[in-house]
Amino acid sequence: MSQNADKVVDHFSLFRSPEYMGMFENKKAFENAVPVADLQKAADWTKTREYRELNFAREALVVNPAKACQPLGAVFAAMGFEGTLPFVHGSQGCVAYYRSHFSRHFKEPTSCVSSSMTEDAAVFGGLNNMIDGLANAYNLYKPKMIAVSTTCMAEVIGDDLNAFIKTAKEKGSVPQEFDVPFTHTPAFVGSHVTGYDNTMKSILEHFWDGKSGTVAPLERKACESINIIGGFDGYAIGNIRELKRLLSSMGVDYTILGDTSDVWDTPTDGQFRMYDGGTTLADAAAAVHAKATISMQGFCTPKTLAYVAKKGHEVAAFNHPMGVAATDRFLMEVARLTGRAIPEDLTRERGRLVDAIADSSAHIHGKRFALYGDPDLTLGLTGFLLELGAEPVHILATNGTPEWEARVQALLDSSPFGKGCHVYPGRDLWHMRSLLFTEPVDFLIGNTYGKFLERDTRTPLIRIGFPIFDRHHHHRYPLWGYQGAMNTLVKILDKIFDVTDADTSNPGKTDYSFDIIR
Amino acid sequence: MDSLANTVQEVFDEPACAKNQVKTAKERKKGCTQALQPGAAAGGCAFDGAKIALSPITDVAHLVHGPIACEGNSWDNRGAKSSGPLLYRTGFTTDINETDVVFGGEKRLFRALKEIIAKYDPPAVFVYQTCVTALIGDDIEALCKAASAKLGKPIIPVNAPGFVGSKNLGNKLAGEALLEYVIGTQEPEYTTPYDINIIGEYNLAGELWQVKPLLAELGIRVLSCLSGDARYREVASAHRARAAMMVCSKAMINVARKMEERYGIPFFEGSFYGLSDMSEALREIARLLVSRGAQPDLLGRTEALVAREEARAWARLAEYRPRLQGKRVLLITGGVKSWSVVAALQEMGIEIVGTSVKKSTKEDKERIKKIMGDEAHMIEDMTPREMYKLLKDARADIMLSGGRSQFVALKARVPWLDINQERHHAYAGYDGMVALVREIDKALFNPIWAQVRRSAPWDMEAVS
Repeated sequence: MSQNADKVVDHFSLFRSPEYMGMFENKKAFENAVPVADLQKAADWTKTREYRELNFAREALVVNPAKACQPLGAVFAAMGFEGTLPFVHGSQGCVAYYRSHFSRHFKEPTSCVSSSMTEDAAVFGGLNNMIDGLANAYNLYKPKMIAVSTTCMAEVIGDDLNAFIKTAKEKGSVPQEFDVPFTHTPAFVGSHVTGYDNTMKSILEHFWDGKSGTVAPLERKACESINIIGGFDGYAIGNIRELKRLLSSMGVDYTILGDTSDVWDTPTDGQFRMYDGGTTLADAAAAVHAKATISMQGFCTPKTLAYVAKKGHEVAAFNHPMGVAATDRFLMEVARLTGRAIPEDLTRERGRLVDAIADSSAHIHGKRFALYGDPDLTLGLTGFLLELGAEPVHILATNGTPEWEARVQALLDSSPFGKGCHVYPGRDLWHMRSLLFTEPVDFLIGNTYGKFLERDTRTPLIRIGFPIFDRHHHHRYPLWGYQGAMNTLVKILDKIFDVTDADTSNPGKTDYSFDIIR
Repeated sequence: MDSLANTVQEVFDEPACAKNQVKTAKERKKGCTQALQPGAAAGGCAFDGAKIALSPITDVAHLVHGPIACEGNSWDNRGAKSSGPLLYRTGFTTDINETDVVFGGEKRLFRALKEIIAKYDPPAVFVYQTCVTALIGDDIEALCKAASAKLGKPIIPVNAPGFVGSKNLGNKLAGEALLEYVIGTQEPEYTTPYDINIIGEYNLAGELWQVKPLLAELGIRVLSCLSGDARYREVASAHRARAAMMVCSKAMINVARKMEERYGIPFFEGSFYGLSDMSEALREIARLLVSRGAQPDLLGRTEALVAREEARAWARLAEYRPRLQGKRVLLITGGVKSWSVVAALQEMGIEIVGTSVKKSTKEDKERIKKIMGDEAHMIEDMTPREMYKLLKDARADIMLSGGRSQFVALKARVPWLDINQERHHAYAGYDGMVALVREIDKALFNPIWAQVRRSAPWDMEAVS
């Protein structure tokens, strides 16, 4: 055998050795293997129009969904507050997923606990799990706040968080005055963006409306400050820092609600920070006095914004603003709300971005793109692509609503480059696969799971989205602001040039076009 | 006077150059490009000119004898395409050091030649002189001669060190090297009455390949192209062609003229850019070949092909006309013949607000005047500042130019299209014209220009 103790080889090379290759071939005889020709025939069939129609006629089955569950969004939102431990009432397995999901994306530990409900809890209710869970979490991890959300298990049996938390406090799990905002986040409703919205709203309600009746509601005294909510965002580290830079340069008094930028980006200096950064609880409470609240991702915050508006704030919602015009609109809205001028520095940054886009416009112009992701991200990206003269062809969001569809369509209708594009709300990545085979495009934009589509359909993947597991550190670079648009432009261009190079690099065949200057 | 100085003087005294003809003997001696002005921005040097003129010969090794600067900066920096060998894209240099400067670089050069021949076995090696090796007195001509005898390979000295003058002079000196050492040294396997040379065509972005199939269809063989997609053997046997077309007049006019004198190969100056010029070039090639003994039916076949291709191109261009009608273009170029593109664009209903004539001959200027009428906005030499002003004032919709002026256009908020050597699209021939118009259309209608022309929305009042 090729594997021996003197030189143990890993799976990259081991299974390519002749012995293993032969063994794989031989064992097919005992596996009722489909003949290769039949296999190929079926594979080819999945690339046809006929298959696409059957695929789109799917009613019940979802294959490769591009969305996640409410509690994932709940944990994301809760993570953005000072010293906050997200506590998910339900089964612990779900929580393990959220932690690994975030840690694989952000390359940072994610502190989050569950009430570890088991079968008896499912039968008798999870009250005891809540009582023990809150007590243990409080004592073990010393948080400043515990934000409770739920998994499906707790939702199905109908656990009442309000009553449970009250009881737990009475039983001394945590002090009476300890902050325990809560929200119900069943995964069978909406997606992670819904969970984000519910949790953000619940935390603001908690602070502003008298902490579940334990103190008097806050009296709003309108001030000059504004609040910004980032939404569920895989680029939160870079984006929020960029937001802060933009707002500071305008001299705006602001509060970021749900500031995860330092939470998921702690230095390696010998100290473990279970909690770092985040919006302080005092700021979260004081945010009620702000004159306005801006959401960077409207589809992540519909309920939150409605609640905030009721408090008397002026509200504005953007959709993951990307590119020149979208950033303009955002900055001008901030300027309007705060009366602060946009400084010369930002005007120059804007000019540099326009310059960069113009420099490279010929390379992106007319290139056809398929994209999928969360509703706000796909809207922001579509706007930017149209600005670049790219042609979006398929836009898909598994968690896209009819409202999202209408918004994207309106955006497409506003540009001649959006003419040949279709919008697919509620579809999955297996639908996307059919789209890519039957109406091919030049590039696909999506998260890490897009790599299967890239492999199957040979459509080059530009990784923009959440999660990104197989490339590191992109979350540190903003997509927002003029600088963020510049980063996105470079990401897209890099792929275009990589593809051109790969396409022309075959020695003696295509390398007559393998050029130094592109 | 040494041989380099002699060659330079000879090149300056170009009888076939109309511009040169009207000069006094004294002016002629000074050369055909304006003297460089220290402290003012300038283009490339003679070395660069020689290198770009010859480097499209694909199967030879191009060895730059000098410090790293010369090859380091010029390595593979043009999009001259090859249909076969790729050795021309490998960067070879002697990379001389301080010791070489003190003791001479000839030994290193000889060893480098030995290694190239041992490791790559090319049909020939071109050795490029540079400022430093020329200054320290390395005699590459003598050395190449000796090395050639010793190593049994043609080793061609290209004596155009940067300091002797401009890039254009370097083009011509490169031509002199071909005339002196290469052309006429081998015989073609066979000849036909339909063999032509194309001189001054570099196959940038594969442009030659848009022309060759049409020639092939007419039964015309490109015996040798100087120097696009060329093989050494083709260049060496170029003297057996029956006629020649000179594509870029200023670059290799000396080669065309001397080949006519030495080998009796008549030439004409033509262009592959623009539909009418492309057709004219095909007709002229046919005429010259027939005058030298090709079957007269070639003329009729050429007319038929021209009619077919023009009709096909017009049909494809038709969809762009309504979009481009009335658009204003500023042309800043030397590489792509200005009058020829002017005519083509005007056919699309595009208005030309100006065209540069820096590298145009008197004859060119007359043609431009004729094509553009009295409004001819001919631009002699132009500083970036003037260009910027012109763009702002003329309110051109787009500028077509080489990459160097790109940034001037952008800063003046004008869309820009690259039509010089770094371009990636081939604009020659009928298909090339369609490609050019398509690219102009793309550049004009890219949505970013709306942003380029606007100030930040919060500064709107401040826009001039």
